[in-house]
Amino acid sequence: MFTASASLSLALVLALAGCSGGTQGGSGSAKDGGFSVAVGEPDHLTPGRSTVGWDQLRVLFAPLVKVDQQGKVSYVQARSVTSADAKHWTIKLRSGWTFHNGEAVTAQSYADAWNATAYGPNGWAANGQLAGIEGYAALNPAKGTPKTKTLSGVQVVDATTLKVTLTSPDSQFPLQLTPNQTGFYPMPKAAFTNPAAYDKKPIGNGPFKMTSAWTADKGTTVSDYAAYKGTKPKSSAITFKSYTDLNTAYTDALAGNTDVIGVPVSKYGQVKADFGDRVFTYEAPSLEFMGLPLFDKRFQDVRLRKALSMAIDRSAVNKAIYGGLYTPATSLTPPSEVGAETDLCDACTYDPTEAKKLLAEAGGWSGELTITYPGGLGLDELYKAVANQIRQNLGIDKVTAQPTADWAEFSEKVIGKKVTGLSHAHWGALYPSMQNTLRGIFTKAGGCVCSNYSAAAVDTLLRQADSETDAAAAQRLYNDVQKRILQDFPVIPLFYGSYIYAATDRVSGVTVGPADVELTQIAAAG
Amino acid sequence: MRYLIRRLLEALVVFFGISLVIYAMTYVLPGDPVAALAGDRPLAPSVVRALREQHHLDEPLLSQYGHYLAGLLHGDLGTDFNGRSVAEQMADRWPVTLKLALTAWGIEAVVGIGLGVLAGLRRGTWTDRTVLAFTIGATSVPVFVLAYTAQVVLGVKLGLFPVAGNADGWPTSYLLPALCVAAFGLASVSRLVRAEVIENLRADYARTAVAKGLSQRRVVGIHVLRNSLVPAVTYLAIDLGYLLGGTVIIEGVFNLPGIGQLLFQAIRAHAGPTVVGVSTALILIFLAASVLVDLLNSLLDPRIRHD
Repeated sequence: MFTASASLSLALVLALAGCSGGTQGGSGSAKDGGFSVAVGEPDHLTPGRSTVGWDQLRVLFAPLVKVDQQGKVSYVQARSVTSADAKHWTIKLRSGWTFHNGEAVTAQSYADAWNATAYGPNGWAANGQLAGIEGYAALNPAKGTPKTKTLSGVQVVDATTLKVTLTSPDSQFPLQLTPNQTGFYPMPKAAFTNPAAYDKKPIGNGPFKMTSAWTADKGTTVSDYAAYKGTKPKSSAITFKSYTDLNTAYTDALAGNTDVIGVPVSKYGQVKADFGDRVFTYEAPSLEFMGLPLFDKRFQDVRLRKALSMAIDRSAVNKAIYGGLYTPATSLTPPSEVGAETDLCDACTYDPTEAKKLLAEAGGWSGELTITYPGGLGLDELYKAVANQIRQNLGIDKVTAQPTADWAEFSEKVIGKKVTGLSHAHWGALYPSMQNTLRGIFTKAGGCVCSNYSAAAVDTLLRQADSETDAAAAQRLYNDVQKRILQDFPVIPLFYGSYIYAATDRVSGVTVGPADVELTQIAAAG
Repeated sequence: MRYLIRRLLEALVVFFGISLVIYAMTYVLPGDPVAALAGDRPLAPSVVRALREQHHLDEPLLSQYGHYLAGLLHGDLGTDFNGRSVAEQMADRWPVTLKLALTAWGIEAVVGIGLGVLAGLRRGTWTDRTVLAFTIGATSVPVFVLAYTAQVVLGVKLGLFPVAGNADGWPTSYLLPALCVAAFGLASVSRLVRAEVIENLRADYARTAVAKGLSQRRVVGIHVLRNSLVPAVTYLAIDLGYLLGGTVIIEGVFNLPGIGQLLFQAIRAHAGPTVVGVSTALILIFLAASVLVDLLNSLLDPRIRHD
């Protein structure tokens, strides 16, 4: 389901119509040791192509590396991931592991999958995840077709050894191999002989295998893979039920028809009342914030930007809109990212007096102030509340929250720099490293449709952190990067997002971690 | 016969005109469909370019429409941005929407006409007033409020109906959504029929029939009813077209993978081929429904002729 509010847009925008039931029928889905999960209709299930199928892919595939709830890094399919200089990496695989069709998982399975994902003309969504590997540029030329089909930086040494050369040192490479970076999963030969069939019935190396292909708008049931060499899952089967609207999934879970659901934002206020102690949350590696048109001369003064930020009572908004389930942001990097410090952002504290003073020092504000956000995603209440607070606390007469027709129009406006005031922004990190958030939002290469910010000093500091081979030292350096960015205060941090799940009393052991809900940990009470 | 052929030819012209207009409308929707595809996670520039090329998004409108028509001539309705065939999706979804719409339509026709006749015959009694109150209620409650309430009360709390989905098949899975869809039309039909029945009971021919000594049952059942149905039939036929395309909200609330949801999602994704395919099918249904109305009305009232 991905991060709480990424799911907001992804699930709502992309999920097609579905129906409850799957193959197990409309009720009693937790029979024979299995349980059911609500998901949005996936666009693809080939790991490198999918943008919605996270829940399915995380049980069908085993990652190389994982991070647990406490931020501890451990290996799954990898035996080790090592480097002396953070640029040349050696990945040793555990031997004896197999895909669901019996084929051995080898270094070649990884090389094949990565090459396919990195090959630009394929147009696979996870392509960008591999951008740090040497040879990526040759597979993704600015125009024309690439002259080669393989990444020069990926070298198969033997069946269980893969050598990866990056374009520049990257201390965070092991964290990039965690479950939500689906571009790094391996694929068997079968994936390339019949790609269309594979896309509906992927063969993975994970704890569950597909017994029947995905039925469009319905779902499928996956069962445990007996030959799986990793930690055995707690249940024997998972039924994925496709829903158009997560609100319907919520109602279905209330009636006991679906066991595990990602809670839609509109239900945050009531979920505790409806599900009591069967609500499960984990602070996601995602940041909810507002972007600013830094190219507009009215927003040049950092005091104005800080004034806007300090005029927002985040905990009041959190209570009113999110039922208190989010955490007001006090830094740029969410604490679920390994080593991330919090309490770094002074201007994130609610202080209307100071805010007014800063605004006066910056020369005040005249005219209208707009907050632009994508319509149709349930963000209306949030931005109305934020607009009200800025109006009241800064005494600006006209603060309006303006929705666009949809996401497409919103992103076009932001990318085209047609936004005249504050704008909605969200960044969910696919791997729990500060690097991802800092690079994504605050560099030119990052690609987040949000911040309009980049600075040479920040790029330099990031490069230093990237090349630091000692993990603790690298974390310190990333924290320095965010401190440096906060001096410029280019965005207004609002909240750290949360993964929020609710479950029926038929299941136990619902675990949510840095890589979202861990379906393999859930047991069905039968 | 000549009338039918003329209508069919009209339909063909309408099809080409409308499909181009709809295609153009999808084309000019603000925003980039590839951006809509990625959500808030940016795609690599090379991927954006590859997807644009695959779906001809880098070409001008007429050229895109040309690709679409060329496919159409080969019987190919095109694909959406995820590579799913539009024809397949429609084949999957039409049965769902048909079941929902026809069930709702049946409820509208039977219950609506029944209530209307009842209220008309017993004008001014408490039966009439109850029907009136009910119809006012049904027309004034927004459909999604009705749907959510019915779902929570009848589905979750009382467990009388499945909450969502079509796993239990027809009719079980479709009854509650169909009732919600039918509520508005049902009320309208009963009001129309009631007014006509009252009118026709007072008409000369009805009084003559009574004077000639025909039984009450025969007067109402044959003469009054038949004449009272003309506006209701017109309404019902148009409503069938509406039901087949306008059940987006109900399909969403009850998680029924029907045509309405497909169209809604396709518009959000700016998926030209899907939008054109579905809307064209809907337009054809509207045209067919209006032909049907004309024919039925001329059967019911021989004064209405089409030649």
